[in-house]
Amino acid sequence: MTGLDDPILPTSIAWGLLAAFSVLWVVLGWWLGRHNKTAEDHMLAGRNVGLALATATAMATWVTANTTMTAPQLALQLGVWGMLGYSLGALGLILFAPLARRIRELMPAGFTSGDFIRLRYGKFTWRVFLVVSLIYAFGWLVSMAMAGGVLINALAGIDYRVGMTVILTVCVLYTLLGGLRAVIGTDFIQTVIIIAGAAFIAWLTIDKVGFEAIHFNLMEERPELLNLLFPAAIMFLFNNLLFGVGEIFHSNVWWSRAFAFGRNVGFRAYLFGGLLWLPIPIVAGFIALATPALGINVPAADMVGPLVAAEVLGLTGAIVVFIVVFAALASSLDSLLAATSDLVTRDIYRGHIRPHASEQHQFRATKVIVVLLGLVTWLAASYRGELPIVGSLAELLYFTGAFVASAIWPIVAGLYWQRANPQGAAWSMILGSGIGLASYFLIGFYVAALVGAAVSLAVMVLSTWLMPRPFDWGRLARPDGEVPA
Amino acid sequence: MRFFRALLPFLLCLPLAAGAQPTFDAPPERSTDGGFTLAWEADAPVVLEQASGPDHANARILYEGGDTSTVISGLPDGDYRFRLRAADADAEQWADQATVTVKHHSLARAFGFFAVGAVVFLVLIGAILRGRPRS
Repeated sequence: MTGLDDPILPTSIAWGLLAAFSVLWVVLGWWLGRHNKTAEDHMLAGRNVGLALATATAMATWVTANTTMTAPQLALQLGVWGMLGYSLGALGLILFAPLARRIRELMPAGFTSGDFIRLRYGKFTWRVFLVVSLIYAFGWLVSMAMAGGVLINALAGIDYRVGMTVILTVCVLYTLLGGLRAVIGTDFIQTVIIIAGAAFIAWLTIDKVGFEAIHFNLMEERPELLNLLFPAAIMFLFNNLLFGVGEIFHSNVWWSRAFAFGRNVGFRAYLFGGLLWLPIPIVAGFIALATPALGINVPAADMVGPLVAAEVLGLTGAIVVFIVVFAALASSLDSLLAATSDLVTRDIYRGHIRPHASEQHQFRATKVIVVLLGLVTWLAASYRGELPIVGSLAELLYFTGAFVASAIWPIVAGLYWQRANPQGAAWSMILGSGIGLASYFLIGFYVAALVGAAVSLAVMVLSTWLMPRPFDWGRLARPDGEVPA
Repeated sequence: MRFFRALLPFLLCLPLAAGAQPTFDAPPERSTDGGFTLAWEADAPVVLEQASGPDHANARILYEGGDTSTVISGLPDGDYRFRLRAADADAEQWADQATVTVKHHSLARAFGFFAVGAVVFLVLIGAILRGRPRS
């Protein structure tokens, strides 16, 4: 049996790859963002992104550490349903397609998801939303920084903190240099690398290990992973779907793209992006099921993907995995850094600290906030395994599930229900998050989002039915329009 | 003074002897999803064995090497026994053992959550498909 004590990628090659791709992303970031002059250029890439780039950025951003590293982890922990359930996350992108069109129609001059909540529901709900949104963004950032460190440690034996620091620094640098334009441009290249690499690894795994050996060893050693009536996995199915929907519907990562894509581009970009994404978790997750057949020791669940690929494919496999996951991590980390810094700039700096900040002030603030976000993320990711919820990628990620799933209904009702109640929207997030978190600790990580979404729906429907508050849609077209009390 | 000099070699050996014995690090007692992580503290390679019977009769080696943890998953209901020894120790000189009980959630509970999820999802599809603000 092999394990972490036998790193497959020589340290010198790992450092070479890290250096080469770091330079590539940073130079591309600088080159793509060299014409950015205003905060709007930096944050929304001039609001005119075309269909090809838009589809690529939607798909690449959704292929994250979560997909390339957590999909194998879930296959290892929850079996076939874990893998298939993860691919249902594509519905988040697909269902956001009509929302993106409506967002563009209602808010042609909008900047962030926070703008929408503030104008639609008022300040109290806006602040609750910011807390939910920032907890999620921070959890996602930390989980991806962790994934970077885990990857480099699993493949090359380089210290976790060193690898994590390098990847985070590179992403902060090129996001800082290029803004959303750089993020979208690099996403396009990263998409091509991710699709080709994942398909290559899955094909070689099947070719080298074979379906029969995988099936036989699973039945011998981990039979529940093939059981279609695996209780935890059945509970997980809709949980993951609603988690994905919650992540996309509320997060400024996706709203900023809805604002940045050209007119009539958003709907098709999110639809195509979702369809392209659908098979990726199955391809990436499947290889974890080969673990018993290969006799690999998996020291931490989130290491399984890179370990299996490296074991099956040797040095070439380790290099391919390294490049694919580095691309996946970079494409998501940069998007999240950019979108979260926009949210903090618009909704906290301008919304709460300096309401009359000029365009230039905001432009500078965005950059400072990217650096600060990077620093705080680095600090939290340094404590992987030492803090209770920063245990493994999946645990950290699904902890945030309760928060994001509780934001689904305030967003959907806010966009489509004219009489949605603002207080109901705030309380649906508060109660949904609270009860969802309780279920995370009392039942398991695989139900937190489901419970959060169900509670949030009940509160939103009841409050709107019992205390309807009519809303003038025209108010959304004016970003600085009158805010309801 | 002479007494301490005489004692010194024994004192120096004590930490080595104590460190040579691998021990489980807070092993879980139960699991509701058939999976858990077993971690241990060891200074040298170890042998980890798993058995489902009380007397370790059907034991098999789960891991042998220098890692200090392993992820176990996909186990059906039952009591699982694990024992650990240094790789260079005698085959029957087990240093530590742990028992984990796997008891999956009931199917009724699992399908209950499934049904709640399905309802929330269908309402969501309905709300989006209407596609127009309610008045």
